[in-house]
Amino acid sequence: MKKDVDELILYPREWVDETSSRVHEVVHRWAQKEIIEDRLAYTHHYETQFDEKRKSLSLTIGLQKLTLPEEYGGGGWNTMQHVPGVVTIVSEIARADAAIGVISAMTYSIFGLIASERNRKDALTKALAPMFCGNNLATPSVMLPGAGMTGEDTPLFMGRALPVSIEPAAGGYRLMGGAMRPLACGHMADLYCVACTDKDGESCVAFVPAEAEGIIKGPAVKTTGLNACRNATISFDGVRIPEEYVLRDPNMLATLHIWINLYLGAVSVGSSLNFFEILRDWAESRTIKGGTPMKENPLCASVLADVAEEIALSRLLLYNMAHVFVHSERFGAVEDKGMFTFAQMIGSRIQKSALLAINRGMELMGSAGYAKEWHVEKHWRDVKTIQSALCGVGAGVPVKMDIARFFFDCKEV
Amino acid sequence: MNHIDEFCVPHEYISPMEKHLRRVLRNWVDTYVMPNRRLYDEDWKDHHLLEPAFDRLMAGLGFQKAMFPPECGGWGLGKSDYLFRAAYAISEEIGRGDTGIAVAFGVTFWPIFTILIDPYENMRLAKELAPLYCNTDKAFFAANAMTEPQGGADIENMELLKGKTIRTTARLDGDEWVINGHKLWPTNSGGTGKLFGVPCTTKPGSDDPNDFAFIFVPAETPGVTQSSPYEKAGMAADKNGDIWFEDVRVPSWYRAHGPGTDFIAFYQLISLGQVASIAFLTGAMMNLYERLYEFVSTRTYRNKPLKEHDAVAAVIGRIAGDIDICRILGYEAAMIGDRRRMPYGDPITSERTVGRIRNIKDFVSDRAVENFGTAMDILGAYGADRDWDIEKHWRDIKIVQLWMGGKQLCQMEAARYYFNCKTL
Repeated sequence: MKKDVDELILYPREWVDETSSRVHEVVHRWAQKEIIEDRLAYTHHYETQFDEKRKSLSLTIGLQKLTLPEEYGGGGWNTMQHVPGVVTIVSEIARADAAIGVISAMTYSIFGLIASERNRKDALTKALAPMFCGNNLATPSVMLPGAGMTGEDTPLFMGRALPVSIEPAAGGYRLMGGAMRPLACGHMADLYCVACTDKDGESCVAFVPAEAEGIIKGPAVKTTGLNACRNATISFDGVRIPEEYVLRDPNMLATLHIWINLYLGAVSVGSSLNFFEILRDWAESRTIKGGTPMKENPLCASVLADVAEEIALSRLLLYNMAHVFVHSERFGAVEDKGMFTFAQMIGSRIQKSALLAINRGMELMGSAGYAKEWHVEKHWRDVKTIQSALCGVGAGVPVKMDIARFFFDCKEV
Repeated sequence: MNHIDEFCVPHEYISPMEKHLRRVLRNWVDTYVMPNRRLYDEDWKDHHLLEPAFDRLMAGLGFQKAMFPPECGGWGLGKSDYLFRAAYAISEEIGRGDTGIAVAFGVTFWPIFTILIDPYENMRLAKELAPLYCNTDKAFFAANAMTEPQGGADIENMELLKGKTIRTTARLDGDEWVINGHKLWPTNSGGTGKLFGVPCTTKPGSDDPNDFAFIFVPAETPGVTQSSPYEKAGMAADKNGDIWFEDVRVPSWYRAHGPGTDFIAFYQLISLGQVASIAFLTGAMMNLYERLYEFVSTRTYRNKPLKEHDAVAAVIGRIAGDIDICRILGYEAAMIGDRRRMPYGDPITSERTVGRIRNIKDFVSDRAVENFGTAMDILGAYGADRDWDIEKHWRDIKIVQLWMGGKQLCQMEAARYYFNCKTL
């Protein structure tokens, strides 16, 4: 009998609490019933079914409000002990659809930043809770620092450009600048989570409801993957937000990177787990050279081994990142550059491994891996889109500079 | 370096016509392809946008006549000493704009190569088929219907299997061949192709090359059914689908040659297809360079243009260096083919030629897949944008790595040649 992918590709289950495991089972059933078992229909009617499936997950099951505090109508999973459980759930969602996974990952990252027991921003959480705890889908869009433009002297966060600035305005702040490309969902967001700077060049994080006046939204861009997460270039022209909507602590942007790396890592691992399942079926049923099962050919078997190795390693890395983050007191304070560096380092490695696994596995599936009918190519496009977006700019270089700075005390890079 | 034409060109290799061919095609790509290619993905089923580009290239500029001899109304390229190098240049220029167009165009010649390249010529058939290509003002598409549901890449693994796994049968009934079978994925199927070259067996299960038959089948012949095209990750300009042959009857002389010769003539296609594949990839990579040059010159990291940051420069330098190297290898692969008539050359069906060309194709495919992926990461948040064109090439070129037996068959063919493996 074929083993479940969770039995084959191990992860430290003892780090996932019982409640999380039960919710995981619910999400697993949702993934199987709502999407995986009827994937062709889902693919053919993606535009309409995407929102329907999101609603059943986010509203009916209630995962949209999962990580908000109970006192604001949330699911109460705003404790650090739930983090590995959330990782498991995000992976399971992405096993069905990475795009829904990415929206979930951005939601959980934002509330990890402002509502977790470790770092609560009550006024802001209370203000945003109705949007995510109500009866409608809520879509966040996270805007991280990235490429600057030649000829402009832009404030920087670890070398990456921060083109949006805030300045005090009556009772709050005004946002200016931009032409930033969010990680995803820029065109459809209800809430923007924006990396920006103050007048002293210190980094901060601002939260901007989509209905605020002065948001300039470019046309929806066509993208490689995550097609349901319609993206756009976003600028701000004097957008006013209340004071509590800005996190002025310079560690906040680094912490946002940690959450994003963790949960987008979970998305790509989940996507690659489903790819593994599809590839396993293919390798079992396909014969080559006139009758040899593909998986019994030594060359094909070695490629299958590479695929399994990359996915298994990335999954272990993911849970280790979560573990270090949750128990940061044993490893170093969460706001430390150390945690930021480890998150960037492990996060980028997870993305590389997930993509490499899919890329290699596609070699064995030939044209079938390329046809929409087999659903492999969607995982491939979605994971690549996440990987490139997380790079920000310059491929792996900014993360390498982060690592070199931390481990070797480089001052100029 | 200021321009893609400064990538390495082995001038002593190139044909006298190359400069002219490239100039015409460069102009066609810039006029007909570049302005529309970001919309091609949505045009995958109907080809409303693609059709005018194909018509101009193939009929208007006359490129679909290229392989036929002058006496059939063609340009005579099939008999040229520069066949592989000219094909390389043509395929690279088109690939720069769109690899899907390049493969749809290139594969139109694939079946007729079995009858146009000496010493395996069949002038009766050539004259019969030439008007389809030469006397029309519309693009004409043909396909090689090779892959079968059960066999995947087995059909391309001729060296080992010699057609043993082919289930599409050809039976001679009087002066007609009767064909039955099911093929998948041919380029220019899905309703596009009007002529199919069909590898069949006259004795199912046989690995005797004499039992391999290559037969031409017009798409309108009774008994031929095409599916609608598959939806894919990319390559919108190339339609693929199923083709069923049910008691399809064609004249007996629609067979390319005859027992034994069909097998060799068909085997020539492997190397031609691999050289064209390399050209599609180097063409796409040349366009990668163009688009990446713009991004790294106008976007910054640490408030420096990306290209002026040492660590980023190392990455983009490697990409450009790879393009240069791949192009050298591409021309070398073409030259291996064109040495077939020289005293120091080898037949294009030789293990040496097939192994070496497959090896180069495997190498260039890997470099292309990796470099496009890295380039998308350099663009970061913009890497997945259609507007930067790189992601489209990234999606398109992946199938080049996978087709014709894919990477693993390339590795096996190389091992067979270099290590005299007997059982792979």
